[in-house]
Amino acid sequence: MKRIVSFACMLALVCGCGSRKPTLHLYTWSDYLDPGVVAEFEKANNCRVKIDTFDSNETMYAKMQAGSAGYDIIFPSSYQVSLMAQNNMLQPLDKTLLPNVSAHFDDSYKKVILNPDMVYNVPYAVTFTGIAYRKDKVGDVPVDTWACIDNPLFKGRISLLNDFRETIGAALKSIGFSLNSTNVDELQKACAVVQRWKKNIAKFDNEQYKTGIASGEFMLGHGYSGDIAQIMIDDPKNIGFAFPKEGFTAACDEMVIPKTAKEPILAHAFINFIYDPAHAAKNIQYICAAMPNREALANLPEAYRNNPAILPSKEILSRAEVLKDLGASNALYSKIWDTIKAAE
Amino acid sequence: MKRNPFPLVVLIVVVVFLYLPIAVLTANSFNTSRFGGTWEGFTLKWYYQLLLDNQVWIAFANSLLIAAGATLSSCVLGTTAALALHRWNTRLQVFHYSLIYTPLVIPEILMGISLLLSFTAVGIDCGLHTILIAHTTFCVSYVTMTVLSRLQDFDDSLIEAARDLGANAWISFIKVQFPLLLPGIVSGGLLAFTLSIDDFVITFFVAGPGSSTLPLMVYSMIKHSPKLPVINCLSSVMLLLTCLLVLASRALQNFRGNKAA
Repeated sequence: MKRIVSFACMLALVCGCGSRKPTLHLYTWSDYLDPGVVAEFEKANNCRVKIDTFDSNETMYAKMQAGSAGYDIIFPSSYQVSLMAQNNMLQPLDKTLLPNVSAHFDDSYKKVILNPDMVYNVPYAVTFTGIAYRKDKVGDVPVDTWACIDNPLFKGRISLLNDFRETIGAALKSIGFSLNSTNVDELQKACAVVQRWKKNIAKFDNEQYKTGIASGEFMLGHGYSGDIAQIMIDDPKNIGFAFPKEGFTAACDEMVIPKTAKEPILAHAFINFIYDPAHAAKNIQYICAAMPNREALANLPEAYRNNPAILPSKEILSRAEVLKDLGASNALYSKIWDTIKAAE
Repeated sequence: MKRNPFPLVVLIVVVVFLYLPIAVLTANSFNTSRFGGTWEGFTLKWYYQLLLDNQVWIAFANSLLIAAGATLSSCVLGTTAALALHRWNTRLQVFHYSLIYTPLVIPEILMGISLLLSFTAVGIDCGLHTILIAHTTFCVSYVTMTVLSRLQDFDDSLIEAARDLGANAWISFIKVQFPLLLPGIVSGGLLAFTLSIDDFVITFFVAGPGSSTLPLMVYSMIKHSPKLPVINCLSSVMLLLTCLLVLASRALQNFRGNKAA
């Protein structure tokens, strides 16, 4: 009994010691903020920042829907923001508390975010899917097109994303349709394309492809720009990233304040702090993905500014298309995906 | 006589399936290459990063605290539940048994989300305490089952003998029954500890702000972090600690055994 009491005291102590200073609770992806910037914020606002992490939008959403409370800022992807806003889970942001956002937001990124009015959301990081390639193995063969996945030169040395929206989306783009298409005919055609691709690739993979590209096991890898930028910085000589000319997907993780936030004022202060160009530049270099902050992007070190996976040109940006939540049509995609997976 | 090759085959299969991945992981924790695809040289930098990573250590401390607490409380509750189930054979106990049995068979995700729903319904803010309650909930079942199986082999005449010799109910429990049940309680507790320290699904739902445990952290790191090798280091360190712990308990047992002899 004594031990239980003493344990309870210990627990109370652990839970209680954070209460003297205000604490800001972030719910985000793993390693998504430069610890230096977070420490600066703690100092500037005399508060503590506690970071918890989630691994997918869907599980985070399930948890929030069940009523989990106490997080002050969450970092969901655009399509999830729409869903959360529809379900009345988010606070409208007070723009007067966010002067840095209105001063520094780069308007050319409005096209690649789903909610450009930014009522509930402020974009944090924009990433793309494209084709990573080994410069040393590919040589002069053009890889800035989805057609290169059919090239027999690369047979068995290609990996495609194991994600039905991304891979069927790429196929849709390769034959000139929107990657948010819900037209059954178009999807059937895309299905045939992926089935053809499947004969030329090594595998569908979402996590290990980075390793495969870094070690040279794969020559081409359909992948996320944030992942590829990391390995490009380790090995800039041999690894490149191409944006297919037919079009590709863009995705954005955004900062939102849930209705249940306990420190909404501090949360606004944090978002504003993040949008300061100096802090934004640090975060961009830490996560290897572009934050739509004009001044920060302009003042990046050369290695980052010249890396297309981090900072694509305006022309490239114009070809990007954002994945939307398709609601009921998701079932259609997943059926087609099953057909593809089952095919020889 | 020709020796049966079967044990050797089993040994090889076990080693390959269970230990090869661990060996690869440990080797990769010393690999300079970030993605571990190829061997690029020996380094200790990941261990250094691990040492400096406060978040990981806080999560580790949370995990240990919760596992210790859940083990302790589930041992107490589980043992009393097992005693009640063993002693009385009423309808109520049949119901009790099915209640205890349910957490063993229902899917974790169901349990996680229902616990979260009930916490929010009652208005409890999630945090370390809710994780502790949730872990105790499923650990109790495991402890009860192990203690109960120990009780089934228990010779009740020992208690009768103790009572005959003048011990009251309490003394006979403390001096006779409890020591005999202790191995069952300890093994139940160990089971509870291991289940608690690596539970992900239930913990994910009932964790509140600022109460991430190690599995929650590792899981999101695996998917999105550029610091993958740090996880390899952490796993290697934990492996080493577990081995040392097991060796120490073995040594202690031997020491005691020798003394008794």
